[in-house]
Amino acid sequence: MAFVLVLVSALVATAVVVSAYSFGIRLLTISGRTPIVTPAEFTDAITIVTPAEIKAAEKRAKKAAKKSPLSEGQKRAAFVGAWVCFAVSALAVVYGIYLIVGDHLIKLFTH
Amino acid sequence: MDSTLIVVLVIALALFFDFTNGFHDTANAMATPIATGALRPKVAVGLAAILNLVGAFLSTEVAMTISGGIIKEGPGGVLITPELIFAGLIGAIVWNMITWLLGLPSSSSHALFGGLIGAALVGFGASAIDFSVVLSKVILPALLAPLTAGLIAYIATKLAYAITRRHDGKPDGRDRFRHGQIFSSSLVALAHGTNDAQKTMGIITLTLIAAGVQSVGSEVQPWVIVTCAVAIALGTYMGGWRIIKTLGTGLTDVKPAQGFAAETATAATILASSHVGFALSTTQVASGSVIGSGLGRRGSKVRWRTAGRIGVGWLMTLPAAGAVGALAAFVALQFGIVGIIVDTIVGVAVIGGIFLWSRRSEVTASNVVSEVADSGRAVKIKRNPKPKKKVKK
Repeated sequence: MAFVLVLVSALVATAVVVSAYSFGIRLLTISGRTPIVTPAEFTDAITIVTPAEIKAAEKRAKKAAKKSPLSEGQKRAAFVGAWVCFAVSALAVVYGIYLIVGDHLIKLFTH
Repeated sequence: MDSTLIVVLVIALALFFDFTNGFHDTANAMATPIATGALRPKVAVGLAAILNLVGAFLSTEVAMTISGGIIKEGPGGVLITPELIFAGLIGAIVWNMITWLLGLPSSSSHALFGGLIGAALVGFGASAIDFSVVLSKVILPALLAPLTAGLIAYIATKLAYAITRRHDGKPDGRDRFRHGQIFSSSLVALAHGTNDAQKTMGIITLTLIAAGVQSVGSEVQPWVIVTCAVAIALGTYMGGWRIIKTLGTGLTDVKPAQGFAAETATAATILASSHVGFALSTTQVASGSVIGSGLGRRGSKVRWRTAGRIGVGWLMTLPAAGAVGALAAFVALQFGIVGIIVDTIVGVAVIGGIFLWSRRSEVTASNVVSEVADSGRAVKIKRNPKPKKKVKK
């Protein structure tokens, strides 16, 4: 029974966090702010993105954003929606931290 | 004099076990962010070390029994002496070092249980072992942890790709998952710090109580908390690059979306299991998550040979650590203090030998993310190989 509880609760929590974060990325992309994250530089990464590749990707993103049929208002709404989704993910992480340290901190302050 | 020497040796070994636990488990949190480039290798292990240190100070709820009920300790049961704890620790450390050399992620807790079971078998016989607890605390979780985490990570990876998929060819922005990975893996590192350093704190405290240095029911000594926290943080900072390599690049080629899904699944599974009281091994959960995320991405490939090696390592953990623990206990109980000294010398020689052996094919922060062939050996791949010329017929 404990195992089923772990499976269901972990599945729901993961699905909520991953979905919220993914929707955030999706909405951010729709809003025309295509996120291009420069990965850390190191010798032998599986995916190496060079400065030239980043520039090309940004150019493609700009071009793609120009073609977007969304109005400025819709883009703004998508941008706000994206950050709401990221906030949901962040809240889930904060709840996770609370689960880890909450009880200990409460004990620490009540003693 | 003899008992003081044994207590000092047990404390030293317990701290070294804590250190090996740290570098063995860095991969659980940081293998995927390193593999995807979300964090530089040194930054990743530094972050994990800090979070483990903080976690160790946040929680000092040490175990009230050394073996977690696997050995029938306490009233009506047996009294685990410092000599047996010493032998059990040798078994656990030697197994941790062997699995590190082979780059296999394996549970340090299970290695400790194995070492203690072996020592207890020599000291008291099979009647001292509660096999139903072995089944419920070691064998069942070892089967369920990777399956649970793997299923969750598989579904999460599918979700992440489905939600961000663009059919119009426009940029999908999946690189942004790298930012999320930093938070999800940090959560795993913090959870690890609050759990694992406490095992060593428990061992040292119970040894001090057994030796009469500390009274029964007293709090953990501040120096015990500080030394355990520092030992696990130092171990974490050392990186355990071999295991990071296996988990980050050996099982599957992890992309940012997969890494985020895997680490979130790991964090959620560990937190849920700790909350319910159904403890699962962080290592087994993390390994299952990486495999699940590998299965979840279309076109991704899981290297089942490496997964099989890891599975064999898990199967071997209890008997192998137990065999070393039993041997060390036999020598210690037969020859007294001389046996303890012999155990120490042989143990140090084996650990030193494993370390020297590892230098022959060193894995460091600089080569940890190189490609890994199906054989499990690192290979260099040309980034932009020249296209093959078409053969004219």
